[in-house]
Parts: sequence; C-alpha cells; structure tokens
Amino acid sequence: MDVGRTFAPLVAALLLSALPPAASAESLPEGVESRGDLKKMSIEELFNLEVTTVSTKPEALSATPAAVKVVTGDDIRRMGALSIPEALRYIPGVEVARVDNRQYAITARGFNGTIANKLLVLIDGRSVYTPLFSGVFWDAQDVFLDDVEQIEVIRGPGATVWGANAVNGVINVISKRAADTQGLLVMGGAGSPERGFGGLRYGGKLGSRSFFRLYGKVLDRDSSVRPNGQDVGDDFKTDQGGFRLDGGWGPSSDLTIQGDIYKGSADQRFTDDMEIGGRNVMTRWTRRLAEHSDMQLNAYYDHSLRDMPLTFRETLDTYDVSLRHRLPLGERHDMMWGLGYRLTQDVVGNTPGFAFLPSHQTRNLYSSFVQDEIELSSVLHWTLGSKVEHNDYTGVEVEPSTRLAWTPSATRTLWGAVSRAVRAPSRLDRDLYVPSTPPFFLAGGPNFDSEVLLAYELGYKAQPARNLSAAIATFYNSYDNLRSVRGGPPIVLANDLDGETYGVEGSATLEARKGWRLSGGYTFLRMILRSPSDTSTVKQAGDSPRHQWFARSSLTLAHGLEVDAGVRYVGELPNQKIPSYLATDARLGWRPVPSLEISAVGQNLFDSRHPEFGTPASRKEVERSLYGRATWTY
Amino acid sequence: MDLLRRLLLVLSISAGVLHTDGGPALADGRMTREYDLKAIFLFQFAHFVNWPASTFPDSAAPITIGVLGNDPFGAGLDEVVAGETVGSRRLVVRRFRTIDQVDTCQVLFICSSEATRFEYIHSKLSGRSVLTVGETKDFASRYGIVGFDVQRNRLRLRINVAAADSAKLTISSKLLRQAELVPKG
Repeated sequence: MDVGRTFAPLVAALLLSALPPAASAESLPEGVESRGDLKKMSIEELFNLEVTTVSTKPEALSATPAAVKVVTGDDIRRMGALSIPEALRYIPGVEVARVDNRQYAITARGFNGTIANKLLVLIDGRSVYTPLFSGVFWDAQDVFLDDVEQIEVIRGPGATVWGANAVNGVINVISKRAADTQGLLVMGGAGSPERGFGGLRYGGKLGSRSFFRLYGKVLDRDSSVRPNGQDVGDDFKTDQGGFRLDGGWGPSSDLTIQGDIYKGSADQRFTDDMEIGGRNVMTRWTRRLAEHSDMQLNAYYDHSLRDMPLTFRETLDTYDVSLRHRLPLGERHDMMWGLGYRLTQDVVGNTPGFAFLPSHQTRNLYSSFVQDEIELSSVLHWTLGSKVEHNDYTGVEVEPSTRLAWTPSATRTLWGAVSRAVRAPSRLDRDLYVPSTPPFFLAGGPNFDSEVLLAYELGYKAQPARNLSAAIATFYNSYDNLRSVRGGPPIVLANDLDGETYGVEGSATLEARKGWRLSGGYTFLRMILRSPSDTSTVKQAGDSPRHQWFARSSLTLAHGLEVDAGVRYVGELPNQKIPSYLATDARLGWRPVPSLEISAVGQNLFDSRHPEFGTPASRKEVERSLYGRATWTY
Repeated sequence: MDLLRRLLLVLSISAGVLHTDGGPALADGRMTREYDLKAIFLFQFAHFVNWPASTFPDSAAPITIGVLGNDPFGAGLDEVVAGETVGSRRLVVRRFRTIDQVDTCQVLFICSSEATRFEYIHSKLSGRSVLTVGETKDFASRYGIVGFDVQRNRLRLRINVAAADSAKLTISSKLLRQAELVPKG
C-alpha cells in the first residue's frame, strides 16, 4: 500500500472535487551544599559529590532570534521515544499525528497531511524529503537515538539559509561526534505494540584525534489496528546499521564521514510485502580559518527504494554538494555565504491506477545564499540575507529574509522577522496522472507554479530567574499560489488557493527544585484559505488542530531513579472528523549500577486507542504502548 | 478531565516522594549544582597549579580566572572567588567574549559555546602559561589541559600533563592523583 495509502487522500480529494459542488532561583534544596560548604571540602570529597545538570544552562540556539526548540538526547531518552517522530511530540508549533504503525503526518504551523510538504527535515545535514511530493517518508528515517546529540526544530521559514521547502519549518537531527560515543552500548526492549527492538553501538579510537563508531539496530512492530480493533496485518520490521568516523588533521581541519544502510518491510495481507530500503554516505570537511571564520564542505549520496507490490515503486538517487563560508567583516559584520548543487534521479514503477509521467526523471537544483548579521549596537542585531535558487521547474527563486533582535540583557531577547519562502513544485504537483493511461481523470499540473509564503514573526524569550526560561512566538503567514485542482475533465493541479495563517506558541521550563523539571507549552493556530474555483482544497484548513498544549514533569531521584510524565492535548481535526484527544505518557527509569539502565515506558496510558489522522473510512488508530527497555554501557 | 486528574495524582505522588527527601529519596545523594562544583574546581586550580613568575606583570598582580564564551556559572563563580587570595595574590574573575580579548589570564574556562573554535583558541594560546579548562569529552586530549567530565553523576578531571608542561605549568601531584591523565601521543 503505502503510497497508495499516502496518495489515497489526495486522489480522493481530487475525485470529490470533480463531482458537482457538494521559583526562586537561588534557594538551595535540602541536601545540596552551599558554595561556602563546597569551598571547605578537600579535593577527595569534591570528587565524591553527586552532580546534577542544570537544564537552563545557556544553549547557543536559545539565544537565536527565531522560534527554536532544542530536544536534547537526554530529553529523547526521558520521553522514552523510539523514533524521530515520537521525539517531536512535545514541541510547541509542531503537529505530530500518527497515521498507522509506521507513517506520520508531521508539520509546523499548519498544512498537515500524510503528504505534508512545507517542512524541511535534515539528518546531519542530509535532506531526507523526497522530491516526489516535497515531503518525508517517516518510516524510512531512523537513527540510533542513543547517539543523537539533539534535534533542533526551527518554526518559521528557514529558506534563506536552508532553501526551498524550508517554508513552515526546519527539523535538524544532529548526531553526537564519535569521540562522545566511545565504548560499547547494548540496548534492547520489548512490549506492545513495540514487539521487540534492540541495538548495539561500539565506539573506538583510531589515533590521537580520530574516532569512530559502528551501530546496528532492529525493530519489530505489531500491526496497525482499525477503529473496530481489527488488525490490519501490516506488521513492520526494519534493520539498520551505520558508522561515523571523525578525524582531525593539521591544526584546524576536521573531517567527518558517516553512512547508514537500512531495509524494512511491512506485511500486506493480499500481496507481497511492502519494502523500503536505502543507503547513504556523507562527508563533511570543516576548516577553521580564524576565530569566527570557518569553511565547510559537505557532500552526500543517498539512495532509497520503496516498493509496494501492485501499487507503486520508486527508487531515488540524490547527489548533493554544498559549501558554506563564515567570515567576520570588520568589527560589526558576521557574513555567511554558501553554494550548493543537488542532482536527483528517480525511477517510478507505475501501476494502472495512477502514474507519475514520465516515469524517469532527473532534476538539478542550484542554490546560493548570502547572509549578514550586523551588530548595530551592543544590544541590537540585524540579520539580512537571501537565497537564490534555480530549479528545473520554475527557474530562479529568490528567498530573502530580514530579522532584528533586541537583547537588552543576556537573559532577554525580543525579535522580529519578515521572510519570503517558496515551495518549489514536486513530481506530484506536475507529473501525477490518474489513471495511468488516457483518458485521464487527472492530467498532472502542467502549469503548476511555486507556492509562495510571506511570513511575519515576532517573538520574545526570557530567563527571568536562573531556574525559569520562557519563550513566546507569534506569526502571521500569507500564502499565495497554494495547490488546488482546476477544471475537468480532465482536472489538473493549479495554484488557485490563497490564504493566511496566524498563531501563537508559548513554552516555559521551570527547574522547580534540584532534579525536578517542569515544562509546558501551548499552541494556537488559525488557518483561513480561499479559492475562487476550488472548494475542496479550502477544507484542508481543518486538517490541523486549532489548539494544542502539553505539560511534562521530569524528576530525578537518588538511587538512579527517574520518573517522567507528560500529557499532551491535540484539538480536533474537523476536516477528518478526528476528535480532540488527551494522551498521557510516563516513564520510570532506574540505574541499579552505573553501567545499566532499566526503564518502563507507557505512551497513551489511559486510552486503549484513538485516531490521530485519516478519514473515518480508511483510518487506523494509535494504541496504548507499553514497553520495557534495558541499556547497558561499557 | 479524568485523565488530567490522574496525571495530577501522578505528579503529586512524585512530588511527595521528592519532598520526603530527608528520607529515602535523597538520603545518600548529596546533590550539587554542576556548575557550582565546577566553579569550586576553577577556584581550587589556583591553589594546585604553579605559574611561572613571568606570567604576572608584578608580584601584586592578581590571579585571573577567565571565562570565555557563554558563561554558565552565573554569579556562582564570583561568589566562590570573592575575597579569596593565594599567597599574596588576589583572585579575580573576568569574562571574555572572544579569545582576542584575553590578555592576562591564568585559568581560562572555555565554554562549550566556543566548541567550533577550540582549535583556533588552542593555537592562539600556544606558548602562553594559561591553564585551559573545558568540558567536552575530548577537550583535554585535543584542545587544552584540563577537561571536566561528568561520569555516573560524579565530576571527573582529565589532565593533559604534556600540554601543561609545554605551557610551563606545574600541577600539584595531589590533584594529578585524583585525575585521569591523558596518555602521551
């Protein structure tokens, strides 16, 4: 199934549309020595003290004038997340809807869907969106989560630096350096519907400045269920392995080479298994030229395969090379510029029901950007820049942005930005035909143009006390030329949809006392879409919730005990008749000895199952998940 | 809102466990703010390290503890150092935004915010008698002299003796005994 399932909503929408219109920071908790006490201790005593890490220590990104949220590797562990999508559940402004046991609809600031197309997702700088529909096949994107340094989520256009498709947001998964993952780690667990998973990583040293790691992981997940509780029979299994090598030579050069290989399959009841697979290798060379100046050269190759017998088959090869250079100019300018080239080649195996025509496609993408951060005064920073891209569909696209940050003190930042971003056409917008031979019901989108966003953002971040940080971001997005359907028969894809979205996202983290962190967030989103001719696509405003909120508690106790709990509320999706839901997640972790961690995780605890995405006829539901896990490090 | 009530119950039970921390929860876990402890160590280094006299402009010049980059200590480091002396020298804390601002300095804590510039900072400090301290895992082996490392909730030190030697610093054996030494080469 898969793309059959994935594209079914679109095809259904197209079909329908053709029918007649129808704390106080400084108080010390008990058991914590004052600084005066510490000073009196001997070195030996100091080494025996237990430390806890302060959550609010400065992160470079938290000071950036943008709506940024960083999910650290430790956050991922404490959420009990077993996949990248599950690690994105507690982020304001982000919509994560689980479609079935392996597929997700994920977006930021609206326009969600199984073929959502306004979010750029990068894994260590490697773009993982498919040019087939400008979106992400989430079931094929996996990493060894214990080796993730952090996931950076930037809401709002990132097009100036990241380029087309970074329309509503950018998700950047960053893995740890090999030097930070030395030794052996073995982990495994079992539960329901996560029937079993396991992994092994080994990191070692090759020379004084060269480190490597290798990993392998497997998972076996139970079938999706329908609303009536019946199994779909799409049990999912994946195997994945990879490596990373970090080396330094000379006084200021670093080289990273990393790669992954994976394959997975989902059972299909009435035909052969659906299969996915892929491999990628990336190399990054960084050279520091001076204190605030460096140059980075990135190159990667990515191959992916998706085969759904009787429905669809796609192989995609991506070659990408990019260069970026950062240099200060004078006292007040921090310049960055870059160049990039990407070649994609795909082969689609079409079936009678629908087809991408032509079935083979080679596309070139040329890009360049320049950005300057100007220090107007010690408290006022102005960033302006633009990306200029050339794609084979629409030619040159210009994506400028300007951003102003006022930082009256180290703990407060008020920022605002105006940006233009585009979503360039994908194969789906131009080349999709239903059925695959004439007479067509849908005959592609021969004149489909880029979708254009003009975004206005205003935000404020503050750390009013040492143990409290908070951020609020607001935006008004104005979209032109969104995808719609036109005419018929045959109908074609066109750009007759316009609209606005606006919203507010707030979040706060409180270190209530030593070892107890509370966090919460709220998201409001309003989407207003208009089309003179197409009433069907207007309804997709109802595919995103208007309200979302979450609250989390992370408690670290003595004896290596950790207690984590979270609730998350997602408002209704009227277009799909998905009711609002409140889900509760919890984790209990215990470290009986320093090298061993045991944990029990429950997700969606008080609800046997609920739907998160999909129309009533086709949807699957998300079941309660319970699993146990052990991680051993040596 | 039944679920919410249940969650609040879970939270209040958790909080209850925490509040009895005179009891089982924190009984043997004397917890310390990570950066308070690190501040204490920076202060202690001033006692356990000998700098060549030529590092100081004169015999009354203070021992400077520098913080380069995004300061994680807050007021903690200033509080630890306030009014302290080593021999005849006062201890002072200074903060630097860039390595080029670092003129006279004996102990320099290089914040993780500078991670992309470690190599450059390292090269700028070569030949100077500055005890560089960092907190990334490979700091001591690659970019400096002392690395903080939190292992199993305990603070550990890694010390690169060869780097200390070439910076003409003498580190007390009392400190070295407690540290993990970076192997030569």
